[in-house]
Amino acid sequence: MLRDRPFATYVLAVFVILSLNFILPRLMPGDPLLAIYGEEALLAMSPELKEELVRRFSLDRPLSAQFLAYLAALFRGDLGHSYYFNAPVSRVLLGFLPWTLLLTGLALCLCAALGVVLGIESGARRGRPQDAVLLSAALFLGGFPDFFAGTLLLLFFGVTLGVAPLAGALTPYAGKAGLSLVLDVLHHLTLPLLTLVVVRVGPFYLLTRNTMVTTLGEAFILTARAKGCPDRTVRYRHAGRHSLLPVVTAAGLQYAHLITGALFVEMVFSYPGMGTLLYRALLTRDYPLIQGILLTAALAVLTVNFLLELVYVKVDPRVVRAR
Amino acid sequence: MLEIRNLWVSYGGLPVLRDVSLTLARGESLAVVGESGAGKTTLGLSILGLVEGECRGEIIWRGKNLLALSEEELRRLRGREIAMVFQNVETALHPLYAVCDQVAEAMVVHGLGKGEAADRALALLERVGLRPDRARAYPHQLSGGEKQRALLALALANDPEVLVLDEPTASLDPRTKGEIVGLLLEMVRDRITLVITHDLAAAARLAGQMAVLYAGRLVEAGPAADLMRDPRHPYTRGLLRAYPHLATTKDLQGIPGRMEHGVEGCPFHPRCTQRLEACAVRAPSPVPAGGRTLACHRGGIVPLLEVRGIAKSFGAFRLLRGVNLTLYEGETLALVGESGSGKTTLARIVMGLTAADEGEILLEGQKVEKRTPEFYARVQMVFQQPGESLSHRLNVLQAVKEPLDVQQRGTEEERLSVVKRVLAEVELPCDDGFLKKYPHQLSGGEVQRVAIARALVLEPKLLIADEPTAALDASVQAKVLKLLLDLQEKRGLAILFITHDLAVARKVSDRVAVMLEGRIVEEGPTWEVMASPAHPLTRSLLTWAGPQLPPAWARRGSWPAHEEFSGPGRPSAGAVSSR
Amino acid sequence: MHVDYWAHLKQSNAGRAGLILVCLLVGVAVLAPVLSPWNPGAYTGAIFSPPGREHWLGTNDVGQDVWAQLLFGARTSLAVGCGAALLATLLSALIGGTAGLLGGLYDRFWMRAVDALLVIPPVIPAILVGAYLRPSLAVTVALLAAILWPGEARVVRAQILSLKERAPVAAARTFGAGWGHILVRHLIPELGPVLVAVFVQGVRRAVFLEAGLSFLGIGDPAVVSWGRMMQHALRFTYLDVWKWWLLPPGLALSLTLGAFALLGFALETVFHPRLRR
Repeated sequence: MLRDRPFATYVLAVFVILSLNFILPRLMPGDPLLAIYGEEALLAMSPELKEELVRRFSLDRPLSAQFLAYLAALFRGDLGHSYYFNAPVSRVLLGFLPWTLLLTGLALCLCAALGVVLGIESGARRGRPQDAVLLSAALFLGGFPDFFAGTLLLLFFGVTLGVAPLAGALTPYAGKAGLSLVLDVLHHLTLPLLTLVVVRVGPFYLLTRNTMVTTLGEAFILTARAKGCPDRTVRYRHAGRHSLLPVVTAAGLQYAHLITGALFVEMVFSYPGMGTLLYRALLTRDYPLIQGILLTAALAVLTVNFLLELVYVKVDPRVVRAR
Repeated sequence: MLEIRNLWVSYGGLPVLRDVSLTLARGESLAVVGESGAGKTTLGLSILGLVEGECRGEIIWRGKNLLALSEEELRRLRGREIAMVFQNVETALHPLYAVCDQVAEAMVVHGLGKGEAADRALALLERVGLRPDRARAYPHQLSGGEKQRALLALALANDPEVLVLDEPTASLDPRTKGEIVGLLLEMVRDRITLVITHDLAAAARLAGQMAVLYAGRLVEAGPAADLMRDPRHPYTRGLLRAYPHLATTKDLQGIPGRMEHGVEGCPFHPRCTQRLEACAVRAPSPVPAGGRTLACHRGGIVPLLEVRGIAKSFGAFRLLRGVNLTLYEGETLALVGESGSGKTTLARIVMGLTAADEGEILLEGQKVEKRTPEFYARVQMVFQQPGESLSHRLNVLQAVKEPLDVQQRGTEEERLSVVKRVLAEVELPCDDGFLKKYPHQLSGGEVQRVAIARALVLEPKLLIADEPTAALDASVQAKVLKLLLDLQEKRGLAILFITHDLAVARKVSDRVAVMLEGRIVEEGPTWEVMASPAHPLTRSLLTWAGPQLPPAWARRGSWPAHEEFSGPGRPSAGAVSSR
Repeated sequence: MHVDYWAHLKQSNAGRAGLILVCLLVGVAVLAPVLSPWNPGAYTGAIFSPPGREHWLGTNDVGQDVWAQLLFGARTSLAVGCGAALLATLLSALIGGTAGLLGGLYDRFWMRAVDALLVIPPVIPAILVGAYLRPSLAVTVALLAAILWPGEARVVRAQILSLKERAPVAAARTFGAGWGHILVRHLIPELGPVLVAVFVQGVRRAVFLEAGLSFLGIGDPAVVSWGRMMQHALRFTYLDVWKWWLLPPGLALSLTLGAFALLGFALETVFHPRLRR
C-alpha cells in the first residue's frame, strides 16, 4: 500500500488538515476572532493585540483572502498567538515538541525491534506453546487503551512503589549535566516509554508473526536450508528479512497510533510533551494552540511516513523508484 | 557411493515412499520419473534430511546413515557434500538478495571467508553463464533461464559430490531448456546426480539410469535408453505412451484410473490390465531382471503370443520361411509387407485355420497344441473382408451373439445384454430395429464394426486384425482405429495389426515387423523403424507411402545455433493474404 | 467451495472467547437499569465512600454511584461503537464498493482521497472537530464514522476487485450475465463476511476513540462514559479512590476492546486460510 503512494498524496493530506484547521473556526457563528480564539482568550487580550491579529489573518476580508493570509502566515512559521502562554504558538510548541519526538521516536524503534524479534520467534514456533502464549498476550495487551495502561503503570510504580517520578521529564532545578542528565532523562522517560511499548508492540508482533508463517512456506526457505544455513540464519536472514517488508509498510500507520497514543500517555504522566500541552490547551480552550499541536503531530506522522517510503525502496530491491 | 536402502517415508502415518532402494555410484546420474504425487520430491528431500515426515530405512553416504545424523551434522553436509536444486524457479531464490550474495552465502555458511566467497561466487556464476552484471542483479531482474542458472550455481557453490535436481527444466521454454540441459550435462560430470522429473525427454538426456516411481514404490529401474526403448513394466509403458515427444508416432494413450496411495498389494494393480489375484495381495519386491530392476509379479509385461519358426509351403512355393514374432500384452504389433508376403497366412496359422509345416505357437507361454474353445475365447480375429465374414443369413444380433452361443456363455438374456454392451462399445445402435438388420442393409463402416463387435464379444486378450480398415473411408477408418486403441487402453487388448498401409501402422502400433517373402526382415519400436529404417524394403515402403517424414534433426542431435533461426521463414498463408 | 465461516469462528478459541465477551457486554448494557439500584447521574450524598453494601463500587467526588456509572458507561461505549462502526461500514461499502465496481476516474478520485485521509492520524481530526463542536452523542457517532470509513473503504474495494476477477464471476459473464445479476448473485453474498469483519474492527476502533475523546474531556459532559470517569478519577490519584473509581472503567474498557480484538483476529484467521493451523 505504501509503495504506490505518490508524493501528491502527502500534499493532499496536508491540504486536508490545513483546510480543517481553517474552516472549523470559521464555521462557528459570530465574530471570527471570537470563534478562532474563544471567549476566554478575547477577555485576556489587549485591544492592540486583537487589532493586530485581525490584520495578520485578514479576518475582515472575504474567506478566500483569509485562506491566503492563513497559508502565508503558516509559511512564515506563524501559527497564531497562544493567549494562555501569551506567546506565539510556534515558540510554545518548540519547547514541548522535542520531548514528544524523543518519546515517540524511541517507542517506534523499540516497538519495531521487539515486535519483529518476537514475531519471528513466534512464527517459527507456530502452534507450539510459546507461540500460543505470545499470541494471547499480544491480543490481551492490545486491548488496553494507552491512557489506561499508563495509569496502571503510574499507580503501581509511581504511587504504590514510588520508584518512578510522577511527573515531568527532568528533575527540576537539579542542575544536572552530562551523564547524570542523560540518566535523569531516561529515568523520567521509562514509564511513558514502557506504556507505549507494551500497548503498541502488539501490531508489529502480530504482523511479523503472520507474515513469518506464510514466508516459512516459501520455496526460498527450502533453498536456504538445503544450502546448509543454520536454523538462526534461516529464521532471521531469510524468513525474517522477508517478513520485515510489511512491517516497514505498517510502521508509518503505527507511528500515527504511537503519536496519538503519546498524546494520552504524556497527559497521564504529566510528561512535558505535546500531549500535556494539548490537555492544557483543551482545558483552557486555547484554540490556536490546539490547532498548532495537531498540525505539528500530523506533519510529524506525514514526515515519518514519507521517510519510511524512502527506506522501503532500500529494503526491497523490487521497488524501482518511480521518480 | 550413495545407497538408499528400504526407505520408507510417511507424513502423518500415510506412507509416501515405500521400500525404495537405490544405489548410485560416482559419475552416475539417475533420473527418477513418475506422475506428480508419486513421491519423487520427497525422495530428493529425504537425501538432504529435509523431509518433514517420519523416515525409516537407511541412506548410506560415506559409511554414515544420513537418517541417523543429528540436525547439526546434516546441516554441515547440506550444500557442501549434498546439494539440491529446487523446482520452483520463480520462488526458490530469495527475492531480497542479489544472486551472487546468495551463492556466496552458501560458501560462507560452510566456513569460507566473505571476500573469497564473493569472488568465487562471481566466478562460479560466470561459469554457469551469468556475467558479473547479471550475477549482481536481484532475482526479479532475471529471466527464468537465468534464475535456473543461478540456482544451479548455488547448488554447485561448495562443489558437492551429490547433486539432486528437482524438475530442472520444468517451466522453461524449449531453447532455454536445451541450453540448461547442455549446461547440466557439463556440470554434473563426476558427481552423483539424482534428476527428479516428469519430463521423460529431459530425463533421457540428463541421466544414464532411470528409475520409475509409482505411488511411492519403485516399479522399474535400469539404463535410461533401454527403459525408453523397451519398457518392461506396464506402468512404464503407460507413462511412455502418454508422453508426447517429437518422435512419437502412435496416438497418445492414457492409463485407466488414477494413482492412489495406500493400495493393498502392488500399487499399480487397480490400473493394470494384466493383473492376477496375487497382485492385490502382496506388493512385489524389486528384483533384477536382465540388466534392470523390475517389481512385478508377472515379471513385467507378459509375452501373450509367441510365434516360433513357423514355415509353410504350398507345393514348391515356400510362403513362410521360419517366422519368429512376439506380441506382448496390451501392445499393438503392426505386421507390414507387400501383398503376398505371407501376412494373412501367418494370421490364419495362428488362428488354426491353416496348418503350419514347422514351428510352434505359444499363448501366454503355453504351447498351443489344439485350438480349444478356451483358446478362441482368448484369441479372436477380424477378417480382411468384413462383409464376407458375416453370413448374409444372420442378422446383427445373431451374428454378434454367435460366438456366445458357440461357447455356451450365460443365459439367453445375459447374452443379449452382452451383445448390446459390445455394440455400444463399438458405437453402434443397439435398439431392436438395428439388431434385426441384415448385413446388406448396413453401410461398410457398420458392417466392419459389427465384425469387430463379434470378435470382441468374448472379451479376448488378443485380437488379430487383418487389414480391418482397408475397405473403409478415411473418416470411418479413423473412428474404428480409435475404438481399437481405446479398448487397448481400457482392457489391455493386444493387437496383431496386419496392414500394408504404413501410415496407419505408424499411428496405431507400438512395434512394427516388416515381412518380405515369408521372413521378418526388420522389427523394432515403430518410431525408430519409421525414423531410421534399416532394411531397403522398409525404406522403399516408406518412400512409397507418401510425403516425407519430418527431418532427422527432430530426433536427437545438437541444438541449432541461433543464426539458423534468422533466415527467411516460410510465409504463412495469413501473412500473404494480408498484404 | 462453500466455507462455513460461522462454524470456523466457533471452532477457534479466540472467536469463542470474543463472542462470549461481546454477548456479556451487550447483556450488561441492555440490562443496566435492572442491575443497578442507582441512577448514574444521581447525587447520593456520600462522597468518596468505599465499596460496600450500599454502593457496590463506592461513590465518586460528587457522590455518584460508580457501579451505576460503569453499567451505563457500557451503554455509551457500545452505542457509540456500534453506531459509528455501522455508519462507517455502510459508507465504506458504498464508496469502496462503487469505486471497485465502476473503476476509472471515479475510483482514482476516491482512492486518492482515501490515501490522503489514511496518513492522517485519526485522533487528530477527532480532537480538532470535537474541541470546536463539543459534540453530542449523535455528532460523536458521525464524527467517528467520518474518521473510520477511509480505511474500511480500501478493504471493501480490494475485496470487490478480487471478487470481480474470480472464476465464478468470469463464468457468469460468459453466460451473458449483466452487472446487476453479478452484483446480487456473486458480489454481495461474498462481500457479507468481509463487511462483518470490517464492522467488528470498526467497533473496536470507535470504542477506543470515544473513550479517548471523553478522556480528554471532549464530548457531552452529561453523558456517562468510561473515558470521562477515568479523566475525573485521574485527578484524585493521591487518594485511594482510584481503586474503585479508576480501575473498573479502565478494566471494562480494556475488556471491551479485547473482546472485539479477539473476534477480529478470529475473523481474520477464518478469512485467510493460510493463517489457519
